[in-house]
Formats: sequence, C-alpha cells, structure tokens
Amino acid sequence: MSQSNYRLIKTLLLIFLGIWLVFTLFPLYFMIITSLKPVEEINRMIPTFWPHTLKLSNYAGIFADPGSLKSLADSVIVSVANTALSLLLGTLAGYALARWIRGAAGENLAFWILSNRMFPPVAVIIPMFFLFDSMPWGTDSYFSLIVLYLVFNLPLATWLMMVFFRDAPRELEEAAYLDGFTPLRAFFRVTLPLVFPGMISVAMLCWIFAWNEYLFANLLTGTTVKTFPVHIPTFTLGSQSLWNLIMAFSLVAMLPPVILFIILRRYMVRGLSLGVVKG
Amino acid sequence: MARLELQQVCKGYDRPILDRLSLTVEEGEFFVIVGPSGIGKTTLLRCIAGLEVVDAGRVIFGGKDVTRVPPYRRNAAMTFESYALYPHMTVFENIASPLRARRMDEASVRKAVLEVARLLRIEPLLDRRPHEVSGGQKQRTALGRTLVAKPDVYLLDEPISHLDAKIRHELRRQFHTLQELRRVATVYVTHDYAEALSLGDRIGVMGDGGLVQVGSSRDVFERPNSIFVARHLGQPSINEVPCRLSSDGGLLMLRSLEGNLSFAMNGMQRALLEKARSDVLVGIRPQHIHVANAGSAAQVDNARVEAFEALGATGVLIAETDGVSLTVLTSPEEDFEPGQPVRLGFDVEQFLYFDAVHGRNLQA
Repeated sequence: MSQSNYRLIKTLLLIFLGIWLVFTLFPLYFMIITSLKPVEEINRMIPTFWPHTLKLSNYAGIFADPGSLKSLADSVIVSVANTALSLLLGTLAGYALARWIRGAAGENLAFWILSNRMFPPVAVIIPMFFLFDSMPWGTDSYFSLIVLYLVFNLPLATWLMMVFFRDAPRELEEAAYLDGFTPLRAFFRVTLPLVFPGMISVAMLCWIFAWNEYLFANLLTGTTVKTFPVHIPTFTLGSQSLWNLIMAFSLVAMLPPVILFIILRRYMVRGLSLGVVKG
Repeated sequence: MARLELQQVCKGYDRPILDRLSLTVEEGEFFVIVGPSGIGKTTLLRCIAGLEVVDAGRVIFGGKDVTRVPPYRRNAAMTFESYALYPHMTVFENIASPLRARRMDEASVRKAVLEVARLLRIEPLLDRRPHEVSGGQKQRTALGRTLVAKPDVYLLDEPISHLDAKIRHELRRQFHTLQELRRVATVYVTHDYAEALSLGDRIGVMGDGGLVQVGSSRDVFERPNSIFVARHLGQPSINEVPCRLSSDGGLLMLRSLEGNLSFAMNGMQRALLEKARSDVLVGIRPQHIHVANAGSAAQVDNARVEAFEALGATGVLIAETDGVSLTVLTSPEEDFEPGQPVRLGFDVEQFLYFDAVHGRNLQA
C-alpha cells in the first residue's frame, strides 16, 4: 500500500472515530449541561446546547435532600451486600463445578444454573412479589432486594467463575498437593490468586447490575428501602419533571461505577481475557 | 528415606494403561522409566504421587501402604513436565512452598531455600517471577522445590526434555552429582534413551500395559528381551531384517526374506535358532555394520549409498543392497556420495535374534 493511501485511510478512520465520539459522548454532555441549567432554560422549546447560565445550586439541592442521600446509601447497602454474596457463593460453586463435579452431570448442572439468568424478569415479577410478600421480612426490606438480586447475579457469577477456574491449570493445584497443602489450603494459596482478576470482573458486573436495577426495586420496595433508581422519578413538581435535579442526581449516582471502573480497569481487562491468553 | 514398592498396580481410563505393574525401587536408587510418548509413563508417576487413585494393587512407601493416602500426606515430591511453577510467586516462594505447607519458621525456610538455590545455582534469581526466568532456570526452580521438601520418593517427569541441548547436558551432569537424589528412591521418566542410559542405576522400558524390561543400562541395551525394547533404545535405530533359516550343504545359513543377504551361523547360534523353528527377525545395531576397505573380507559387496549424514561425532550411512535398506554407523571423516558402491562387513557375533511372530529375544 502506498504512503498516500495509508494516510487517506488513517484520516477517514479518524473522522469516523470523531463522529462516533460525538455520538456516544453527546448524551453525557447533555446530562451535564442540563444538570447545571436553571429550570426556565431547560423548558425552552428549542434546547440550548451551549447554556446561557450555569449554576451549581442543583447539586447543592441534591446534597441537602435527606431523601436523595438515603436512597444512595440504600443503593450502596443493597449492591455491596449482594455483590459480596454473589462473589462468595459464585466462587465456591464455580470451583466445585470446574473441579469436582465431573462429566455430563457437571455440564448439565452448570447450564441449568445459567438458564435461570435467561428468562425475562417481567415473567416472574408478579409471582416474586407474592412470594416475598408472604415472607417474614416482607417485600420492602434490604434483605428482600439482596436475595432477589442473587437470582440474577449468582448464576452469572457461578458460570463465569467456573470458566475462570477451568482455565486455571490444574497442575498448579496438584503441585500444591505434592508440596503438602490440603485441598482447602491449596485453593487459597494457589488457585484463588490465579482467578483473582476474574473475581474483580465478576464483582464489577454483579455490582453494576445491583446498583442500576430499577424494575424489581420499584415493585418490591419504595417506603422503608428506596434505592436511587426508584428515587429518581420522585423529582417532579405536579405534572412537571425537574430535569435539572434528575440529571444532577443521576450524574452523582454515575460517579461510583465510573470511579470504580477506572481503578479496577486493569483487573477487568485481564479478567475478561483470562480465558483467551493463558499465562 | 524409604524404598518404593508397587504391587500389581492397575490403572485405566477408557482403556487399560497400567496392567498389574509391579516394581521396587530401593532407597538411594535412581530408576529411569523410558518409553514412547503416550504409553502411560506420566500416569505411573501420578499413581505413585497419589494424584491418581489406582484401580487395583498397592503402592508402598518404606513398608507403609499408602494406596489410599491422599497426595498431600504421602511425602513424595514430583516435578511436572510443564514445571507447574506458581506464576504469582517469586522463585524463592516457589521453592519454599513445601516448607510453607509444614508451617516452618521463617529463618529455617530462608536457610533451606538458600542452600538449595546455591546447589542449583539460581541464587541471583530468587526475587524474580517464573515468567522472568529462562526454561532451564524454571526447571531448576521446579527441581529446587522438590529437593527442599526432603521427601521419601522423588518423581521426575521429563525434567529436561524441553530444554535446549547445552542446558540439557549440563542438567544431566547435575543429576549425577546431586547427592540428595542418592539418598532416596527416585523415579525418573523420559522418552530419551540416551538420558535413560546415562542416568539410570536401573532402567525400566515401558510398553503397553507396563514395564517390558527392567535392568541395568548394559542389560537393556545389549540384551533387550524383545524387539520393542531394542527398537526403542539406540539412535539411529536398530536394523530389522526378517530372515529364514536354511541348510546349505551342511552349513546353517540365515537368508533374508527380501533381498539377498545371508550369514553363516556357528554352533552356538544354531542351538539358539533351532528354538525358533521358523522365521527370525534379526536385529543389527548400526554400529555393528561397517564399511569394509577394498581387499578386506566383506559379507556384502554390492551395496549402494542411499544417503549420508555427517553428524559431527559420527556419520550415519543408509546403504541399500538388493532391496534391503541398512543403517550403518561410520566415522564422520569419511564421505559418501549417493549412488556410490560400498562393501559392508557385519559383526555377526553381535546380532540379536527375535521371534518373528511375538518379537521375543531368542537368547533371553
């Protein structure tokens, strides 16, 4: 390929990437400027893409509102507890499926567990409501949401951890047995460190699901427990939506996943490619 | 410090791999198992280590039956063909691993690891990770991990086969000098016959189902009990010439079925060959055929050179005579052109005779 052709392709690619970047980043930009506008400017028929007035009072309003703060706290409690449980149970189950339950039985069991993740949530939402309603802890509690999210996160965590454990060389565990480590000690000393990047990826996936989930949280909880996705629709005044507050609050709620992703990115990528590149 | 005994060990998956295999390795003995790949050498080691549970039979360490004892209570150390070093630990921690399992105190661990590292000359590498050291150094780390454990039984699975020739030679010499290995029962698995002959106090040649022949290097090389063993030991491989016994004017002759080779037999060989009563497979090692000078006696004077390789220390000549291809070991100084006529002489005294049907050595 000639030099000029190469440059042409490179330029076209850059233009394409530029358009793509605008396409993906515009919603975020619009959220940010909306969160900084006064209500009057938002309600104009032709929206302003370059805001005339910017003010931080919307954010001040969010942080001064006990309801908003409590909803964020509720979300943290539910998502962190759910992630911890998913990871703990998923790791143990995934290890059992990868190493100790052999043959067709293991394959079928693993697929059955994953199939729980495949039905549409709407199909079970009504029975779930009645089921939780008949439980001593009721529907509107931390416990009900934490357990309910396990239905979706645990199969995913189990399946992914199983794949990571399968890719971890068995010989390393056997070498540890010959060194004199019992299976339990060998698991913690050798096998678990090998799948650690995978565990980080699984934790992120579980946590983001639990953090953002709206459908079940909206139906089951809302009074004693109110996660932030359920809290967002309450920013209304009569028939009017307070878009500035909604956007400000949503941006605050977006921060934890973004920050966590930046910190854990290194592990995420390694975890997701764990099956591809064996080390 | 113990002897290792296997009694009638059986192990199979979808087909039998070890069939009633019995073996005793004495304390201080270096026992080498050699055999083609995929024959079950590694399975045998895994059964001794306890990584596989035997289907039948007994595994005994120092008089104690460990058949049902899990690997972490057996006190056997094993190096894996893949080295199986822990990638997230330094070389130091890899070597220290068996001591960590015993919860030994830090000072003793450091002392023991340094001692082993000095012995194997990997001291400067102790802080590195396995992926930062070379293949030979990985191998020495894996060896260090087994040495530091001071086990009753050492199991070494193809420890040096994946290394380049120079390091392989150096490590092979190191095996000779490691006194640690001379105090316990060692089982060393390889597919390389030269390694086996060089290292083994005794050698076991493994074939389908188990050990086909066990003996000293000299025994298995010079007196193989079957064509299988003869074929597997020696490079280039032994020439196999199917022959038929015939009487020619009172003289007992061996004639090749193909081509036109014939050898006169003396009395001792006659007694032997009468046992066969039919066709025999004659095994002639390449070093027992020589290129005869003009004028000297030769059994074959119409051979032609098919190919010649000068390999530095030796030369390998492929010669063809009346449709029979023979491999001949020569000196590398000589040079042969394809198509060139040669005269061949045979050391008839050194021939090996095998049953044409079962491959048994008729002299055994």
